[in-house]
Parts: sequence; C-alpha cells; structure tokens
Amino acid sequence: MQNEHMYQLLIKMKAGDQQAFHAMYDATYQDVYRTVSFLVDHQQDREDVMSEIYMQMWLSLDNYDMNRPFHFWLHGLVIRQVQRFRVKSWRRFRIFERIRAFTREEEESYWDQHTALDGTDQMISQSIRKLTDKQRTVIIFRFFHDYTLEEIATLLDVPLGTVKSRYHAGLQALRKYLWNLPPERMEKINDY
Amino acid sequence: MTIERKIREHLHKEAETMECPPAVSRRIEQSYSQYLQRKRSEKPMKKRLIGGLVAAMIMIPTAAFAAPTLIEMLTRTPMTAEQVKVDEASKPALEKLYSAFPETKSFEIIDASSLGGDTTNSTNKQAIQTNFALQEKGGTGKKISLGISAAGKIDSVIQENWEPKEKPVISLNDQEIKAKVDFLINKMYGSIDNYEISMEQLDNSNQKTFMLSYIKKGSEKPFYQAFVHGNTISVSLIGGEATPSNMKVEGFFSTNGKPDHTADSFLNDEKLFSLLKMSPAELKQELAKGKTVVEVAASKNISKQQVIDVIAKTQAEKEVNGAAVSKKQMEQLSKALEPKVLQVIEHKTETPW
Repeated sequence: MQNEHMYQLLIKMKAGDQQAFHAMYDATYQDVYRTVSFLVDHQQDREDVMSEIYMQMWLSLDNYDMNRPFHFWLHGLVIRQVQRFRVKSWRRFRIFERIRAFTREEEESYWDQHTALDGTDQMISQSIRKLTDKQRTVIIFRFFHDYTLEEIATLLDVPLGTVKSRYHAGLQALRKYLWNLPPERMEKINDY
Repeated sequence: MTIERKIREHLHKEAETMECPPAVSRRIEQSYSQYLQRKRSEKPMKKRLIGGLVAAMIMIPTAAFAAPTLIEMLTRTPMTAEQVKVDEASKPALEKLYSAFPETKSFEIIDASSLGGDTTNSTNKQAIQTNFALQEKGGTGKKISLGISAAGKIDSVIQENWEPKEKPVISLNDQEIKAKVDFLINKMYGSIDNYEISMEQLDNSNQKTFMLSYIKKGSEKPFYQAFVHGNTISVSLIGGEATPSNMKVEGFFSTNGKPDHTADSFLNDEKLFSLLKMSPAELKQELAKGKTVVEVAASKNISKQQVIDVIAKTQAEKEVNGAAVSKKQMEQLSKALEPKVLQVIEHKTETPW
C-alpha cells in the first residue's frame, strides 16, 4: 500500500468523503482485525478495540507524518489502543465476570473457529496465547508483521533491550511449551 | 524447521482463518458517520476557534491551556444567507467587504452563524458574535470569513486560498507576505501608516506559521495581529477594545528572571485584590517569594473556590464584552474558565507553565 495514496484517502476521509472511508477501511481492516485478534483473546473485546482504533484513526490523523510508512503509523494506533484497553482495570473485571459466566460458550466458539487448523497448529496457537501480553505483542509484531526488533521498540516506545528480552523470553517459553508436545507431534515438527 | 519459521508460518496461516465479523464493520462505519455529523455541525464554530486561538495566544502566550475556548461553550445559531444580508451587525460588515474586494460580490455565503443572539428577531437580542464566510463559486475556492463583535466591529478576517495552490502564502518571502497582510488590513480596516510592524516565526513544528503584530507607535499593545499559515491569513483586531483599566501591575510571575505576562490579565482584577485585601504590588511581592495565589489566599483564610469564582466571573464578563447574555450562559462561561483560572492561581513563579 502506497503511503501517498493512503494519505490522500485519509485526507478525503477526514473531509467527509464516505467513499474514501470505504476504500481506506477495505484496505486496512483485515490486517487490523487479525492483529487485534492475536493480541486480544475475547471476541467482544476485539470488537471494542477495533472500533476504538478506527475512531482514533480519524481523530489523530493530524499526527500522521506522511513521510513515514502508513502501516507503521497504523500499527502504532493498534498497539496504543490494545494497551489502553489492557490498562482499563474495570474492564478486566468485566472480562473476569464474563469469563466466569460464559466459559463454556467462549471455549466452544474459540475451537469452532479453529477447526481449519490441525493439531500442531492448535498447540502453537495455545502456546502463543499462554505468553504474557508483553511477550505476545513482540512475538506477533516480529513474526506476523516482520518488523525488526528496533522497529518494535519504536512502536512500543520501550528501549531496544527490553524488546530483546521480551522476544527471547517469549521464544524460550514457546520452545518450552512445544517441547512438551506428545512425541508423535514432536516428530512432525522435526520432520519439516 | 526452526521454531521461528514455524511460528511465522503458523501466524500467517492462522490469520487466514480470521474473518472480521460484519457487525464490527457496521459499527465502525456508524461511528464514522457520527463523527462526520458532529464535524459538520461544528463547522461554523471552527472559524471562531481560530479567532479564539489568536486571542488565547495573545492573552496567554506561553501557557497551553487544555480547556476549550470559552466562547465555544455557548451554542451557536445558524443563519441563512438572507439573514446575513439584513442582519444589523453583519450587513455593514458585508458591505465593507464588498467595497474592499468587489470580486466578493459574486461569492456565495457558505456559512453563517451567530452566538447568543436571536437571528429571527435581531432587535430582540443582540448577538455576542456573528460569523460568516464567503466562497468563490467554482474557481480556486477563494474564501473569506468575517467575525463581527457585539458592537458591530469586524474583529477577525480570515482569508483562505487567495494565492495559487502551488504557491501558498506561506511559501512567499517575508516581504511578500508582509505586503499581502498589509494589503488585507488596509482594505478592511484602513491605513496602517502609523503602525510599527513586527514579524516573527512561531515555534510550531507541524506547520510553518508567522505572526505579524501591528503596533501603534508609542503603544505597547498590538492593534492588529495576523497569523499566516498554509494558504491562510487571519487577522484579528485587538486594539480598539477597552483596555483593562486595572492593568496596574505587570509581570506577577517571572520566567528565567524576566517578567512573564502570561497570567497578568487574569490577576489584574480589582475584585481579586479586594477579596485578598491587598494591593496589586503586595500580591506581586508575595508571589515573588514563590507562593501560589491559592497559598496567598489561604493565609488570609480565603478558599480556592472563592478566588476561582471572582476571577472566572471577571473574565467571563470581559469575554462577552457587554452583550446581553442570559444568566445561564454566563454561568456556563465561568464554569468553562475554571480550569484556566486554576492553572494560573496554582502556578508558582519561575516554574514552567
């Protein structure tokens, strides 16, 4: 996606061009939604975060420096909104309540969604979900979006060393979880 | 296969299975149209905001106050083009504009609103402020907006897009910019021969902005102030208003040893002095010791709220400038001012704002 093109779309969108909004939304929503899904576990929360992200997008458009990659800015928005969401402790409480009430439903819908994945993939999914939020964010941005650790440090606004330690701790944890796979699955991994 | 590669492939594969529920898209689209609606209804306010910003910058040049421009608190009444043409306050201004820039006669009035007044019956209640904007039909989108005060004076003129798009005003050299601003003021307000003009670039990293101050020889307060940014020149009339008679002491606070005028217009308040039972000079002396106004008041058994009330009331009265405003509107204004007042009275001299 070209920066210039996106920028023009954003400007038009801000001026009230519905079509520009649709073009911009279509170009971004899959990526945003998938990123959010990796970082936020519950469906309702994902939806809330999604809409916050887009709200923020038109509110903070003025801060966008068009010389910088559009995606980088967008992911900055994503990260900030996800983080904002996490620090809202009252919401955590709400989630807690919701989990208690709907544990079964949540579980079912979660696995329904993932029937396309085979056993090993399910293991990896689960392992990634077991990481701490901080580790998970680094892992997702490193492997899903292929950012360098330096870029992640900028996005998260934390020192590079911190990113590195989260990255290594995350990988270590994943290795550990996956090491504990039943033998036949292990072989499958080693086969590749 | 390394674990890194495995994770990468897995994430991309899993991402493929994730579909954004249509409900989310609908919700986002909805909030976008809500945002648009809000934005459209705010349009006439925006113009005033520029004027308001200018005023705030003059009054409080260094402090970044978070509260909304206070006049924004009152609701604006939209006006039609016909109403502008017959309105007591805006008609003379419009005629003035037509004679200054005859080409504007062919422009259409795209936006008009008044604040605090009753446009359906202009004799009934005078507006505190009236704004309208004219735009060239088709063409390059030349636009000019006027703000008119209660007294019928034009207190702001904003000229947009009068230069070719490829070469906006801000891209011209200093001399040319000055000539453009001079021309505009000359046309709208009259001769500026007796004024001294200073031009400075504002420290604004996002957008290059120049501030031009037109000061009458021998006077200290600018009479006109113009801001130039993008393809826009905004001029506001500052002089000509009754200068606060209570400006007795200046520089209640200081920054780096130099007097800081930032809060003077708030603190030069007769009612405040009588509330504190001290002279302006005494207050200045106390503040120089590093106390805040709140602390000075506390030593006299006066609560913070009392101080806020007194200052906010004076400032609100200043803002409406004698126009007829309902009691409720006055209260709203005072309320809106409180955060600003709070910042001033909790400020310590020599500390950054």
